[in-house]
Amino acid sequence: MTQLDSLTQLVEQLQRLPGIGAKSAQRLAFHFLKNPRDEVERLCDALREVKDKVAYCSVCSNITDVDPCYYCTSPSRNRRVICVVEEPHNVTAVEKTREFNGVYHVLMGALSPLQGVGPDDLKIRGLLERVGNGEVDEVILATNPNVEGEATAIYLAKLLKPLGVRVTRIAMGVPVGSDLEYADEVTMHKAMEGRREV
Amino acid sequence: MPQFTSEALVLRTYRLGEADRIVVFLTSDRGKKRGVAKGARKTRSRFVGALEPLTHVQVSYYEREHRDLVRVNDVEMLRSPWSALDPDALTYVGYFAELIDEWAPEADPNERLYRLGASVIEAMVVGTPTERLARYFEYWLLRLQGVYPSVLACHGCGADLQDDGARLSARDALFLCPGCLGGSQGPALSPASIAFLREAARARPSSLGDLSWSVRVGRELEAAHRVLITTHLEKELKSMRVLKELRH
Ligand SMILES: [Zn+2]
Ligand SMILES: [Zn+2]
Repeated sequence: MTQLDSLTQLVEQLQRLPGIGAKSAQRLAFHFLKNPRDEVERLCDALREVKDKVAYCSVCSNITDVDPCYYCTSPSRNRRVICVVEEPHNVTAVEKTREFNGVYHVLMGALSPLQGVGPDDLKIRGLLERVGNGEVDEVILATNPNVEGEATAIYLAKLLKPLGVRVTRIAMGVPVGSDLEYADEVTMHKAMEGRREV
Repeated sequence: MPQFTSEALVLRTYRLGEADRIVVFLTSDRGKKRGVAKGARKTRSRFVGALEPLTHVQVSYYEREHRDLVRVNDVEMLRSPWSALDPDALTYVGYFAELIDEWAPEADPNERLYRLGASVIEAMVVGTPTERLARYFEYWLLRLQGVYPSVLACHGCGADLQDDGARLSARDALFLCPGCLGGSQGPALSPASIAFLREAARARPSSLGDLSWSVRVGRELEAAHRVLITTHLEKELKSMRVLKELRH
């Protein structure tokens, strides 16, 4: 392999990353080329470490470095309430509120007929097992507020309700700090539907 | 850069970079287009709700010389499948969109296909039961392509298929009466299914709730249409496979 071949290789690999186009890949490649060796090595180590040490929790499928994860084992969390999200980073979003004290279940995606993602491709069976044990009072469906997330929530509700658990869906509506003028009819409708007493 | 404004159906979107989306949409007047919607992945983008599959929109876009991708300037939601009354409808949205996408040629106007899609969204919103809407949609989609076999008479002997029902000869994509079937085996349609199709030929999608229907009719039509669609597209649609999984 010539020197330029290895540079081409690097550009190709970087281009596979989400959100990175040909130009950004080239810019990054030259950045690594110019950077001190130890800095690049730290990045390589971090990448290797993440693959070695970070795994998925065998209970909730969240990412974790101990199995079961912190949320699933913490005595201060209420295990009778499960919040269902699509991806591990959605857990972080819910945690930011500091309002939720239950546990999680990460589906690892949403039903997507267009992308060929069906129920067998998601962590649904594990959720049903957790709820089926009778130790859960409420399942909060916090899948994304788009067609795929909503279809997933509807599908899960159908499976969960017969198990005798309370199934709720997070509210949808107008984003804080925006203007009603810019809300489309669906958003406005959902906001009205989810209104509450003040 | 010439700008166009037309009504359209959003078929699908792909992520592009950090904040943008590529949108595939079927316009009422200029066929299927692909365009870049800048900032469409930001929560506060004015596009965000209008780019869900099968949303009926008014879109304005610029065509750029020597570029396949148009530039989407504005998208306004006219009708959204989110307003569907039947909760199952959202599961089918991707399927309908994929079927239209497969059959809509790029930049070749197909107003009837566009109108079929728009009427299906409208039917969802007024609460048409999703399963019969799906069978109706498949039937009309194949008819518009000129590939739906005749449901009037047996292709072999001319017998009225309403009498004893029909079987789809998968090899030649034709309906035959039980007598003419010979050795070939394919999905069967009972007289009730034939009756539904004949009525669907005249019905508006929003009135499908009034047509006679049974679980059996639904299953028969689904099986026959799957064979027809797979034969004509020469592949099984991803969304079709997922819908099948969702029901078992
Ligand atoms: Zn866990
Ligand atoms: Zn015959």
